[in-house]
Amino acid sequence: MNSIRRGVRNAFRNTTRSIGVVVILAVAITLSISMLIARDAVNTKINAVKSSTGNTITISPKGFFGFSGGGTPLSATTVDSLLNVKNVEAIQESLTEDLTTSKTSLIAPSPAGFLGQQFGGGSATNSRFSGSGFTLPIRVVGTNSPGTALVGGAFGGGTEKLTSGSAFSPTSSANVAIVGTTLASKNGLKVGSAFKAWGTTITVVGIYSSGSTFADSDVVMPLATVQKLASAAGQITSATVTVNSVNNVATATSAITKIIGTQADVTSTAAQTESSLAPLNSIRTISTYTLVGAVFGAAIILLLSMLMIVRERRREVGVLKALGAPNKAIITQFVAESTTFTLLGAVVGLIGGIAISSPITSALVSATSTSTSQSFGGFVRPSNGGGFGAGGNGFAPPSGGGFNGPSGGFHFGGFHNTLTQLHATAGWSTLIFALGAAVAIAAIGSTVACATIVRIRPAEVLRSE
Amino acid sequence: MITVQKLSKSFKTPAGEVHAVKDVSFSANNGEVVAIIGASGSGKSTLLSLLGLLDSPDNGSINIDGTELAQLDGAGRTSYRASKVGFIFQGFNLIPNLTALENVKLALEFSKYPKDLRTDRAQEMLDMVGLSGDKADRKPNRLSGGEQQRVAIARAFAASPQLILADEPTGSLDRSTGQKIVKLLREAASQQNATVLVVTHDEKIAAQADRRLEIEDGVLTEIS
Repeated sequence: MNSIRRGVRNAFRNTTRSIGVVVILAVAITLSISMLIARDAVNTKINAVKSSTGNTITISPKGFFGFSGGGTPLSATTVDSLLNVKNVEAIQESLTEDLTTSKTSLIAPSPAGFLGQQFGGGSATNSRFSGSGFTLPIRVVGTNSPGTALVGGAFGGGTEKLTSGSAFSPTSSANVAIVGTTLASKNGLKVGSAFKAWGTTITVVGIYSSGSTFADSDVVMPLATVQKLASAAGQITSATVTVNSVNNVATATSAITKIIGTQADVTSTAAQTESSLAPLNSIRTISTYTLVGAVFGAAIILLLSMLMIVRERRREVGVLKALGAPNKAIITQFVAESTTFTLLGAVVGLIGGIAISSPITSALVSATSTSTSQSFGGFVRPSNGGGFGAGGNGFAPPSGGGFNGPSGGFHFGGFHNTLTQLHATAGWSTLIFALGAAVAIAAIGSTVACATIVRIRPAEVLRSE
Repeated sequence: MITVQKLSKSFKTPAGEVHAVKDVSFSANNGEVVAIIGASGSGKSTLLSLLGLLDSPDNGSINIDGTELAQLDGAGRTSYRASKVGFIFQGFNLIPNLTALENVKLALEFSKYPKDLRTDRAQEMLDMVGLSGDKADRKPNRLSGGEQQRVAIARAFAASPQLILADEPTGSLDRSTGQKIVKLLREAASQQNATVLVVTHDEKIAAQADRRLEIEDGVLTEIS
């Protein structure tokens, strides 16, 4: 029988005490496991929300939103310099212009309607355009990133994709355009067709569809072309900065704001998301502290238990030393005993932790999110002049909700529900943690006992008979 | 053969320095049983601790078959205790959750006795002390005092040590059992060719030894 086997056997020497130690350790490990699972669930949710938020920063002239509002166009040179900002990977620039009937041969596909009259500058019942035949202008987006502009709902209307033709190159300055299907249909445009804008003939090279009438009424052209034709050389009205990681968005936003100064609004959905995630971050902090505290507490419990056991068996240690047992063998025996306690506690704690992790996570979420739930009300329509220039008779929010727009934007109910719906699950990492924690607890819990063993002098403990 | 020369040990106490062992010199041959008699506090247990390398002497030398022990380092002392010395205590000091056989095997484990021979050797030693059958598989609390001391003797002799140090081995036993234990010690010493030093305050027990030494205030003298 070697030292390890003796140690394991010693763990069951005093049944009552062994059960007591294991139960206490199991409670501490149960708490730490449940906190770990809660923390993992919260982390997963935070990462999911951050991932869905995206890693982009939007720069627009001060007071400008979408294609409404005021402000002075941004300098493309200044925006280009942002590529030197740490963690910035790419910049998509655009210049949005309105083509009124005097500047183009195109006809807007949608009538202004009630909302168009209202958002156009007055109200449906008391507007300078009321009853005067106000026509929606055609929106032209000059972009240096046509590929990105056509993928991922760049216009907020859905997912645009080419249905025919091809995109122009990012550096193109040709008089070409990609038009939305609604606009193309209204004006009988096909790939190869031409229309007039700013007195220049523009050739249609592609037609896209997004599934949204609003977005399919636009014209997408090379940035350089729009800057030239609209006499806006070196100007842009919007830039989307892509950061290498969603975790770096906040620091990049801060750096960009410092460079751009007060001439622009620098916004990222990540910033708003971060504040929305505050309750979850609180849970993460609480669970982390509790996790560490529980493991530390378990180690202290074991440390005291082992110290008590060693003191109780001082004579036995003395006898072992007198028989020629090296300190290493005796320490191994006691470490094996403490490891046995801890592993038993870890097994029970793992089962208990998995069992109670879900209700504990729910309790933590409900306790910490109550105070912030008011900020996630239902749908809020922008107030008068808020920045939607679309015509038609209503606005259909994208399915799924979950979008928290820039200042002056809108909120959807359901975001709160999404945040509080956490799935507490235990994976291999939980099992590995349980084992790791058990080893750490056993190691910490044995230290003082080991030091005591080394100090025991057999001549002293055996003399006292 | 053990030869001790001018062995001294003192302790500092609040009352001043106490000379527990003063210039002790003696020698004993293999197979010889030597009784050391002394009253409580005379220094006999300290002497045993020094001879068993459980404590370090202030001065003097301990030589067993040509090996000087006082110069050994910590690891050397541990190795010496495991292979060259066997201890027998008044309170038996068996490990309570191990069986008699396992207690004997414990000494063999620390002395690096061949693993596959340990069980046979332990059984042989238990047979030697008269513990056979199911008693070998009993834990100490299911053995009488005399039987426990027999296990302790088997454990002490198991690794074939050259020196057996017995500290009041009959102190917890009735007179009749004590006599049997001393007889057993004599037989074992002869059979194993080991030197046995028995510390006792019982004159009748000491009378069974080959030689008698008396220790008083740390000073050892031979009784003729």
